[in-house]
Amino acid sequence: MVNDEPKRKVTQRISQWAQRIFLCVPQRKTPRPLRLRLLMARRLASVLVPIFAIGAVAISAQTRQRKRVPKPSPIRQQAPKSSATKYSAFLHSSEKHQSLACNACHKVPTEWTAKRVFPDVADFPNHDTCVRCHRQQFFTRQAFIATGPAICTVCHVRTAPREEGRFAFGKPNSSNQATKAKDERQFTIEFPHDKHQNVIASTNPAAPSHAGARIVRVSFSISDDKKPDYNNCSVCHQRNDYLVIAPLSPQAEAATQSNKFFKTMPHSHDSCFNCHWKNQKPAGEDCGGCHKPSATFVAQTAPKRISAMFSHEGGKGEHVMECTTCHINITRAGTLRGLTPDVPIAACVTCHKDNKKTTYPKITTIEEEFEQYKKTARCTYCHVEDVGKKKPPASHEAAVQ
Amino acid sequence: MKKELFNSSVVHPHKAGFKSKLAGAILLFSFFLFHFSFFLETAHTQTPQATRGVIRLKIKYKSGEATKELPRKRFFLIKGSLEENRSLIEKIKQTATLLRECYYRSKGASAALIKWLNENDCESVYCREIDGKYLTGSEAVPEFKAAYDAVLRDFKNPELARRWLTVNLPAELREGFYKQKQELLNALLKQAEETTRTKVMSVMTDRKGTAYLTDLEPGVYTISNLVASETEKTSILWACEKEVKAVDLAIAMRRPVTLSNEKDPKVKCEIVERPLPVCEQTAK
Repeated sequence: MVNDEPKRKVTQRISQWAQRIFLCVPQRKTPRPLRLRLLMARRLASVLVPIFAIGAVAISAQTRQRKRVPKPSPIRQQAPKSSATKYSAFLHSSEKHQSLACNACHKVPTEWTAKRVFPDVADFPNHDTCVRCHRQQFFTRQAFIATGPAICTVCHVRTAPREEGRFAFGKPNSSNQATKAKDERQFTIEFPHDKHQNVIASTNPAAPSHAGARIVRVSFSISDDKKPDYNNCSVCHQRNDYLVIAPLSPQAEAATQSNKFFKTMPHSHDSCFNCHWKNQKPAGEDCGGCHKPSATFVAQTAPKRISAMFSHEGGKGEHVMECTTCHINITRAGTLRGLTPDVPIAACVTCHKDNKKTTYPKITTIEEEFEQYKKTARCTYCHVEDVGKKKPPASHEAAVQ
Repeated sequence: MKKELFNSSVVHPHKAGFKSKLAGAILLFSFFLFHFSFFLETAHTQTPQATRGVIRLKIKYKSGEATKELPRKRFFLIKGSLEENRSLIEKIKQTATLLRECYYRSKGASAALIKWLNENDCESVYCREIDGKYLTGSEAVPEFKAAYDAVLRDFKNPELARRWLTVNLPAELREGFYKQKQELLNALLKQAEETTRTKVMSVMTDRKGTAYLTDLEPGVYTISNLVASETEKTSILWACEKEVKAVDLAIAMRRPVTLSNEKDPKVKCEIVERPLPVCEQTAK
């Protein structure tokens, strides 16, 4: 029994300690005498009161000093502090950017004479445009952590004081992609082909060739195409001899599949501004007249062959028709986004069908293609392997009825 | 008891019958389910596609002894028969023909500009690039020269000035005719769409007077140019009815729908052909 007493005390202490720690049971203390408690309170007050007084004076002085600073104008409101990487991606769609007019940042025209032969929005907005709202992202100590202000990489290739290398204008670092300067777009372009077809409609199939060099409105390709200027599509679309596209089917047939028939697309404002610079709406300063905000997308800059093994230069010269004879749907589209130069089967069966009136000698007909499909489950006269092994759609079956 | 449960060889005769019936029922159900799903798939993939197709339009006109194709003119496809669109047809018949030459003369355009437009049957100054020979020399167009000089003053670049000269042309000459025509067309299209409650489809003829109307469903349609098209000597307005059957959509490529200013008993058409008036020059 004598030996059990210390053991019991130890167990009790451990139990109290555990309750205090895990169950938050307050520690029972023996009450101090009243005089002692009053003495302690007086001493504590004598220490804390001066500290609070000094603090209050300092705060009021600081507040008075702040009042002297003028309020920033709405356009100079600083962007909130946030992670530096957030500002490495420029988005036109951000709430603040959306609230601004285009010409709040983009000057129309920019200093164009050094960059273009025509007045254009040719360059990124200047530093002041960004700094007036993003001073914190450029100059605070936080901004210089690691590689430097991330906001610089919206336009500049590297963050360095003397780094002048910039991404091509119109292709800023718009998202956090691993490789920068992808051809990402934040706007789609409204272009009603039908309206333009109306105003350029002309009956003369052959535009007179100019003496000397021919002016190519849109691209840098040189056209020596002597063929007639059908349907005036060539006002904007030139023959593109420089485009290299992998042939559809390898080796044997590759030689017969020229890709030179692909046309250029207008890539500069020149082809728009020559009519829409001023007066003709939407005029040059009205960016929103053509550029409509959209979800970020990677534009397909080069044409991609996915289905038909068609060659414009084939057909023993018979494939040279007007562009819109086959590309029927193009003239109906109002926007350039998602626009495909698709050709309905109806345009092909005008000739490629068993019909004495329209079929040229030794032509491959759609009926023959169907016969081949029955035997081999492939439509390889007209289509690439991937598409040719699929079941012909109802539109094709209707075409042979 | 436990032993019986685990002894698989001992099966009650009633239970065996039930099992075979159940298996049969499952087999039958899956058989019907397979055929039903096959039917659904076929119906889903084929029915809507097969009922849509293309019609090929061919527009011709007889001028003197020759029959010509009408190039670069827009035609509209309106749902419904001529009778159903009667009020619209009457309205387009009564609409005064908007003639290009008369318009430009009324705006004081020079003879050289009118000649330049007529050369390529252009309705606007945008229809072809303006060559240097139209700025100076015997074929010079005064309006082009004035606009060229204005751009040259701004940009100091002769080539740029030539290519961009339309930006400095007076609005009436630049787009006035087109706008006036569009206003007229838009009013007619609005009426057509309100009457038929469907969108009006349109297509422009190519150099051979051919045009394709795609993604059509069978039905009765009115095909019209809504505003009379100018030819050499006359202006022609077409309003024709065409019943498009499902079978027509398949053979349309072989047998086009031909519209002509000559009478054809096979085609139900209302044609208004008027001689082109002599336009008066308005001094500006």
